[in-house]
Amino acid sequence: MLSLSADLSDATVNLQMINGDEAATDGDVAHARALMKFAETFALRDEQSLADARETLLDEAGPGVLVDAAAVAANFQRMVRIADSTGIPLDTRSAAMSVDIRKELDLQRFGSAKNTPPTSLKTKLLSYIARPMAKIMLRRMEAKAQKDRS
Amino acid sequence: MARSDLYCNYSESPYPIRQGLANAHKAYWQALAAPGNWFNGKQRVAIACEVRNALSCPFCEQRKNALSPYTLQGEHLKGDVLGDEVVDAVHRVVTDQSRITKNYIDDNAKLGFSEEQYVELVGIVVNVFSIDEFHRALGLPLEPLPEPMAGEPDHYRPGLTEQDTAYVAMIPPEGAVGDEADLWEAAKTANVLRALSLVPSAVREWMGIADEQYLSGEAMMNFSGPNGRAINRMQIELVAGRVSSINECFY
Repeated sequence: MLSLSADLSDATVNLQMINGDEAATDGDVAHARALMKFAETFALRDEQSLADARETLLDEAGPGVLVDAAAVAANFQRMVRIADSTGIPLDTRSAAMSVDIRKELDLQRFGSAKNTPPTSLKTKLLSYIARPMAKIMLRRMEAKAQKDRS
Repeated sequence: MARSDLYCNYSESPYPIRQGLANAHKAYWQALAAPGNWFNGKQRVAIACEVRNALSCPFCEQRKNALSPYTLQGEHLKGDVLGDEVVDAVHRVVTDQSRITKNYIDDNAKLGFSEEQYVELVGIVVNVFSIDEFHRALGLPLEPLPEPMAGEPDHYRPGLTEQDTAYVAMIPPEGAVGDEADLWEAAKTANVLRALSLVPSAVREWMGIADEQYLSGEAMMNFSGPNGRAINRMQIELVAGRVSSINECFY
């Protein structure tokens, strides 16, 4: 989703931010380092560091950003528990769109990868067209929404 | 004061909380207290209480570090409303969810803790946990749990389900029809949305919170335009991705 939103915003991002690489925050995402630290200390339940990260984000970006970042972080404490406790696999479409990204971020190392079958040749072939097609479709949808708004 | 004003009004928060967030949390707290499809209000609130107990449960801590989560015997830190299997499931979903298996769910069903009850339980756990975690992220005290409402569960089960995708039965992608037509638009769905669909109200409850804590289904398809939030889509996905990575979320 980060990769897709960057593509559609014509922005540069280094996906290794997701794995906690601080050097990767030097891209087009505003307050990336402060957001990454906030998310990280929150998920690690490191309460003192979370308090520090909260203050940094508040000072740097303001209360609106802090509250919305907290809401998203809390939301994604839920998603992993839904997925793992019901044993759902990755959807075929998402699997096709994320072949490269899963490899880049080495997501196969996670235990919950067991619920999704290994990438088949068909999925690999689909991956070559799935992402470009999704971008075209989403750009069209956004253009229509913008037209409707104006 | 009206019952709906008792909870999640965030008047003591040092940061202004969007009204949409407050309303979603308030609505969930009310739903939590009411009878569900498979648990009554008292049991639902007791499940919420176990979500909080799990975080300081010494047995959960010990089990999380054990090589096998199914051989260790011990007592959870728990209240006295729920049966042992139900308490154990709550604690596992909070503290050790990645090692839950289909056999565990099936074995519980043989003991009378049904698959439908398990799905409703997962819905309660994840929603309460997510709202509690929002408070923790902002350094706010947790909301008091609501007073349970009287009444009995109605044992509603959707007509169309399939068993082959996950550990639990789910409504098939094309099965959101009739009373379930509001769950997703004609086959446009994802497994994470279908995961709790054996108890359709559990899907509605988590979507009500996700629409505000993350994005609505419509806003999810908008990757670069305004989204009604103080953070743009890339910032949202950075936070989501970093949390999910630490949680080892493959999905």
